[in-house]
Amino acid sequence: MSTDKPSSGNDMPDFSDVQSDVSSTARETAPAVKMYTIKSGDTLSKIAKREYGNANDWRKIFEANQDTLKNPDKIFPGQEIRIPE
Amino acid sequence: MKIRDTFTVSVLALSLAFSLSACKKKEETAVLPPPAAAPAPAPLPDLVNVPVSVKQIVLNNKIDEATKQAVPMSAFAPGDTVYAVVQTIGSGKVALKALWTYHRGDKTAQVNETVQEIEAAGPASTAFNVSKPGGWPTGDYQVEVFMNDVSSGVQKFAVK
Repeated sequence: MSTDKPSSGNDMPDFSDVQSDVSSTARETAPAVKMYTIKSGDTLSKIAKREYGNANDWRKIFEANQDTLKNPDKIFPGQEIRIPE
Repeated sequence: MKIRDTFTVSVLALSLAFSLSACKKKEETAVLPPPAAAPAPAPLPDLVNVPVSVKQIVLNNKIDEATKQAVPMSAFAPGDTVYAVVQTIGSGKVALKALWTYHRGDKTAQVNETVQEIEAAGPASTAFNVSKPGGWPTGDYQVEVFMNDVSSGVQKFAVK
């Protein structure tokens, strides 16, 4: 039985702590990339803290999304970003 | 007398020659025709020299680490790691994406989305997995697999 509480607002569980991995018998040509949809209240530092355990790793996320993020302080709910391994 | 002997010998020789010729002819006609060639087996499908395509998506809570194979499973426990094994054929470089979602009524919550680029050179298995430290909420889930952003199939599962 899960102890998850529904996330605020939409009465749905919070899956932000889900961990993922990939492995293949084929040659992996690039590291696996987790995609994340930005929610209200998110910052790159908060995401880095949650994903890597260190808020200072926000730059790693910013650099992996240079094509869509021009300013690390300007992210918007609904934006999809890559979270590198 | 001598003439008669010569005649007799000639007749015998001719008879012998005829007999041998007849035997030879029988031998020739007795040769069996070669067996009809067996029909060629149907060619096996080419699993290598074709573009990469997804053949099957299999869910389980464990996989064979070496082969990345699993037997199908559709119900999981809250503490399970859920694997989606994507079996492909063909050769080439593609991006495989697994989009995991949770469904309650008409509401959907995204669980995880992971992309892996691979370069296949024949049949391959790519195993995506998700786990949740606090345990999965019970309910209905699905994983949809995309190849180069085009949907290649959906597998539904439940956590009970």
